[in-house]
Amino acid sequence: MAKARSVLKRLKAVRNIRKITRTMELIATARFKKAMDRATQAAAYTRKIAELAADLAASATNFSHPLMEAREEPKAGVLLVLTSNRGLCGGYNSGVLKLVQHRMREAAASGQKLILEVSGKRGLNFLRFQKAKADQTFTNFEDKPRYDEVDAIASRYIQMYVNRQIDWVDVAFVKFQSASRQAATVETLLPLTSPAATAGKPAGGPAIQYDFYPSAEDILEEILPAAFKARLFKCFLDAAVSEQIFRMVAMKGATENAGDMISNLSRIYNRARQAQITSELSEIIGGAEALN
Amino acid sequence: MTTNKQLRLVLVTPETTLLDEPVEALRFPLYDGQIGILPGRAPLVGRLGYGELQITTAGGTKTYFVDGGFVQVKGNVVSMLTNRAQPARLLDANQAENELQAAQHLAARNDAELDRKFKELERARRKLALARKAH
Repeated sequence: MAKARSVLKRLKAVRNIRKITRTMELIATARFKKAMDRATQAAAYTRKIAELAADLAASATNFSHPLMEAREEPKAGVLLVLTSNRGLCGGYNSGVLKLVQHRMREAAASGQKLILEVSGKRGLNFLRFQKAKADQTFTNFEDKPRYDEVDAIASRYIQMYVNRQIDWVDVAFVKFQSASRQAATVETLLPLTSPAATAGKPAGGPAIQYDFYPSAEDILEEILPAAFKARLFKCFLDAAVSEQIFRMVAMKGATENAGDMISNLSRIYNRARQAQITSELSEIIGGAEALN
Repeated sequence: MTTNKQLRLVLVTPETTLLDEPVEALRFPLYDGQIGILPGRAPLVGRLGYGELQITTAGGTKTYFVDGGFVQVKGNVVSMLTNRAQPARLLDANQAENELQAAQHLAARNDAELDRKFKELERARRKLALARKAH
């Protein structure tokens, strides 16, 4: 009797868990769609900025900008780590944190100073466990990163880079490549690569002769920080989209596993119940025979 | 020369595309003054200033506040990239006033800070003027 009842209890618990994970999967799906929409809307800006920068760079050939100059002996840099505030999203955080750990060891080995900036509670907890200190922490980025907030961070990096306090800016995050492919990566945002080099040749047609107000150099000077900010913002958006995908996949797996477990447990329960009935029956029969 | 009499305005901010529609004429601030765009404009790349973007469409005029950025005219497409753009009627005069106050109290101890202060002052004044005009 006791066994059947304990199995029943577990069965109930697993059913509840399945309900929860299925709901979480649905929520993640809805959030993923929203995050995806935001990312595609934001892509227009990034694309346009890159296009403009390439056009400008074609007109201003001998151009240098403080954000573009690579330092010969990099001594200190920022590693911005984007993790999630919430768990239950499979390998999303561990993938990023593994890279971060690797990067930290590298920096320690070469004697470079690594300024860690971490967004997301999961990353913070991990670092606390590792007894590493984060220099800046953010927990305000959920699935809808706002440009204003990213702008503030980006402006600070630009300031630090121009003042030569830092020699590079890396971002560790899960890059969104397609709906079925996301990979944890470390991307170097500063120093900026030259816009002409990244854009390549425009497809066909002679270059357009623009009127520049003010000169191409002056506009380029303004557009590079904007391009950097847009790229950083894109990292945040990518991370938000990837997080929802990871959660969706993790919760789908969890729901399926719970389903398997339910069928397993109900079989065990039925067996136990059957065995109990059989033993009761045989007891009754045995008792009746003893009376005869 | 393009003979197409229709301009297309694409107004994008880092977060979203605010407008993507055919327009007849545009007026907006460049870094050093107002500029007007009519169909058939030669290609142009410019830095935006702060202030009023006036859009003339077949259905009437609309005004927006644009907050710096860049503009590109290519063929008959005008792309405006700006950090922030708000419809003028949504501007809040009180809030603009506060921003102006804040800008006036910015410390200016060196050239960079002074530049920034002037920029912020300019921005706040334009915003305030537009907010008052819209109401």
